[in-house]
Amino acid sequence: MVNGCGGSTDGEGCGCGGGDVPTNTPVPDGEEQPAQFGPPPALSGPEWEEWAEEVLAETDFDTELGKRLARDAYRIADGDLSKEAFQRRHGDRVEAEFGVDERPTKTTLESAASIPRVPDDHEQSRRSMLKALGAGAAATATAGLAGCLGEDEQTMATTEESNGQLGMTIDVENCIACLQCSEACKEENNTSAAVHWTYVFRWAEDEDAEWDDDHDDSMTRPCQHCTRPTCTYVCPTQARYKREDDGLVLTDYDTCIGCRYCEVACPYGVNYFQWAEPTDEAGGFDESRTDQHGDTVAGNPPEGVMGKCTFCVHRQDSDDPDLVGTTACEDACPADAIHFGDITDPDDAPQRHLEEKSDSNTFELLDEAGNEPNITYVGPEPSSSATPVEGPVSYEEMDMTEHRREEIDARWAGGEADD
Amino acid sequence: MTDDVPVERVLRPLHTTTWKFLALLVLLGLGMLLFLEAWITQLRNGLIMTGLGDWGTGGGVPWGMYIGSFIWWVGIAHGGIAVSAAVRVFKMDQFEPIARIGEIVTLVALPMAAANIVFDLGGPDRLINTMIMWPQTVHHSPLAWDVAVVSLYLVLSMTYLTLTMRAELYALMDRVPRYLRPVYGLLLLGYRPEEDEKAEQMAYWLAIAILALVPLLSGGVVPWLFSLVGAQPGWFGAATGPAMLFESLASAIAFVIVVGAAFRYAYDWEFIDDAVFRGLTKALTVLSMAVLWFLLHDTLSGVYAAPVQDEALTETLLTMPLFWVAVAGITIPALYMLATIVRPSAYSLPAVVAGAISVSIAIWIKKLIFVVEGLLYPTTPPLANLYPTGSYSPTAIEWVVVVSTVVIAALLIALATKIIPMVELDPEEI
Repeated sequence: MVNGCGGSTDGEGCGCGGGDVPTNTPVPDGEEQPAQFGPPPALSGPEWEEWAEEVLAETDFDTELGKRLARDAYRIADGDLSKEAFQRRHGDRVEAEFGVDERPTKTTLESAASIPRVPDDHEQSRRSMLKALGAGAAATATAGLAGCLGEDEQTMATTEESNGQLGMTIDVENCIACLQCSEACKEENNTSAAVHWTYVFRWAEDEDAEWDDDHDDSMTRPCQHCTRPTCTYVCPTQARYKREDDGLVLTDYDTCIGCRYCEVACPYGVNYFQWAEPTDEAGGFDESRTDQHGDTVAGNPPEGVMGKCTFCVHRQDSDDPDLVGTTACEDACPADAIHFGDITDPDDAPQRHLEEKSDSNTFELLDEAGNEPNITYVGPEPSSSATPVEGPVSYEEMDMTEHRREEIDARWAGGEADD
Repeated sequence: MTDDVPVERVLRPLHTTTWKFLALLVLLGLGMLLFLEAWITQLRNGLIMTGLGDWGTGGGVPWGMYIGSFIWWVGIAHGGIAVSAAVRVFKMDQFEPIARIGEIVTLVALPMAAANIVFDLGGPDRLINTMIMWPQTVHHSPLAWDVAVVSLYLVLSMTYLTLTMRAELYALMDRVPRYLRPVYGLLLLGYRPEEDEKAEQMAYWLAIAILALVPLLSGGVVPWLFSLVGAQPGWFGAATGPAMLFESLASAIAFVIVVGAAFRYAYDWEFIDDAVFRGLTKALTVLSMAVLWFLLHDTLSGVYAAPVQDEALTETLLTMPLFWVAVAGITIPALYMLATIVRPSAYSLPAVVAGAISVSIAIWIKKLIFVVEGLLYPTTPPLANLYPTGSYSPTAIEWVVVVSTVVIAALLIALATKIIPMVELDPEEI
C-alpha cells in the first residue's frame, strides 16, 4: 500500500491507530442524557453558568463555591494560577463546606526529597518538617504532645476519609481452630520458628480440659492495623509507620534500629523481633520485599529488626489482580472466618460479612486501650476470666511451635558454635 | 573556691603513679577484655545471646537488664552533676572537695547509659537513624525526647566542667607533667585571664540550668519512656517520675560517697573530711527513705483493689526473693545511716561506704524489676490470660556486659585522676 495505512477501505480515514480515539462527539439526538455526561459548554458563555448550576444542583454543596472552584481549576490547568494560590483563595471555604480539605496543594519542601526515608505518610512528615523548621522546638514538642493525646489531626494523619482502610472481620462463630491461617501465614511470609504473625487463640469460659465445639471458642489474631497505632507513636526512627494509601501499619526493615519499643507499646502482642539470623523455615520468601513506594516492608525481617503481620502487603501491591485484596490467612481459612478488605467500603468483604451476621455480637479486642483496631470480631467475646485450652489440633501437630523461649534457648545453646 | 586544700597533695596523682594503681589498671583492663569478648559474641550472633524474648505467644520479656541498667546509669548521671551544681548555687562551701567528683561521675555515667541502649539494640549500626529522623519523631517518640535531653545534658555537663576548670588549668600549666600540656592547651583554647569573672557567672547560670533540668530528666523524660505506655501494667502511672527522681539522686549520692571515699583512701586526702561524708550520709538517708516511701505506695496500690493484671503482678513481686533483697538493701543501710545522724558515734566511713554500695545495688535491682515486671504480666484481660506469663533469665553475656559498664566507669575515673585534678583548686593558691 502506498500510503502505509494498512489498507483501510472502510472509510475510517488514515488514523493508523484504529478509530477508537475518544473524542467529545455530541450526544446523538433522541438520547436524553443528564447534563453532566455531556461535554461542558465553553467557560466564557452564559451556557456554562446554566450547565454548572444544573450539575451542582444535584449535589448538597454550595453552587457558587462550586462554580468558583471550577473556574479556578481551569485556570490552574491553563497555567494561569498556581495550586498554592488556589489553596489560599479557597482552602478555608472548602474546609468549611466539605468539612475537610485533603487536597495536597501546599508547597512541598524541596528538601523533602533529600531527607533519607521520609515515610509515605507525607502529610505527617512534611507538616512535621515545616513545623520543625519554622517553629521552635518547644512549640514542636507541644504540638507533638497534643498529637500523642490525639488532639492534633495534623501530626497523626488518619487515612479514613480518603483512601480507605484495610481491615478484617473475623468470625469467632465460624472459626474451627484448625490453625490453617497460622500455617499459611508462615509459608507465605517465611517467618522464623515460633513466630506467629497470626495466632489462633483457643479458650474456654469454664475450665474444661477437653476441646468441645459447643463450649469453647477460638479466633485468629493478626496485627490489628490500628487507626491509632501506639507502636508508630513511640518509634524513634519512623520505621514503624501507617501507610496512607490503605492504612496498613508497616515496618521499614531498612531503618528499624531494633529497640523493640513498638513491641512494648502494643497492647495486642503482635510483634516478633528477629532475635537471630533468620533461617529458611518455610523455604524462602520469593515475593517482592519492597512495597509500591520502594520501602522494604514485606516478608521475614532481617536479624535485629522487628516484624509483624503486614496484611500480606506484597499481595496488596502486586501486579496480579487476583492477589490484590487477599491475604494468605484468608485464602487458607476453610471455615470462612476471615474476611479481608476495605472496611470503609460497604460492598467489600468485611462490611458484607458484618451485614450477614447482623444478629451476632461484635467486638473489638481491648477497645478500652483506645488504639481503634481495624479488626472486628463476630461472635462471643472472651471474658476477662477466659482461659486457654487445647484446641482440636496443636501447633506441634502442624509442625509449628508456640514455644519461642525454648526455640531461643536451643539456638542459644548452639549460638557459640556459629564459628 | 576551697582554701584549706593542700595543692601538692591534690596534684600528686598527676605526677606519681603507684604500683597499686597499675595493678588496678591491669585488673580493670582484664575486665575490659572480658567485656569485649562478651559484646562481640552478642554482636556476631545477635540478641539471641541474651535472655530476652517476645512477649505474647513467645512468653518472653523484650526489655531486660540492659534497659534497667540504662535507667540506673542515667539516674547516677543526672544526680552527679546536680550535687556539684547545688554546691555552687547554694554556696555549700563545705562540700566543695567533692563537687568535681560529682561532675566526673556524670561525665562517666552518661556514656555508660548510652552504651546500655546500644547493647540493647538489634541494629546498633543504625543508631544514626534516630538523629536523622529526630525532627519528625520528636512529635511523638519519647525515645526522641530522651535522645534530645541526654545530649543536652552531656553538652551542659561538659561545658560546665570546662568552664569551672579553665582558670585553674591555666595556673597549673607549669606544674603538671609535660605530656599533659597539649591536653590542657586544648581545654584552654582561647583562654584569657580576663574571662575568669565571666566564666564564673556562666558556670553559676549553667548550674541553675542543670538543677532545673534534673527533675525534667530523671523525674521526667526517663520515667515517661515507661509511664506513658498504657499497654503494660505496672508502668502506666503518674508516680513513676517522682519515684525515679529520688532513686536517681540516691544512687548518685551513693556513687559520690563511694568515689570520694576511694580517693580519700587511695591518695590520703583527709581534707575530704568526715563532715563532708556525714552531710552526704544525711542526704542519702532522706533519699533512701523517700525511695522506700514510693515503694510502699506502689505495693499498696498494687494489692488493694487494683486492676486484675496489676494485682497479679504486685502479688508476684511480693513473692520474688529479689524484690525483698532490694527492699532490705535499701532499708538496712537507711536505718544504719539514720542511727549515725541520731547518734554521731555510730558513724564509721567504711560502714557508710558499704551502705552506699548496698543502696546502689538495691536501686539497680529495683530498676531491673521495674522494667521486667510490666512485661512479665503484659497487656490486659482477656488477652493477658490467653497469652502465657512471661519469664526472663539473663544470660552470662548480659551479666558480663552490664557489670562491665561499672568496670569501664571505674577505668575512666581512674584515668581521669591522671589528667585533671579531682578537687577544685583556687587559682590564687596555685
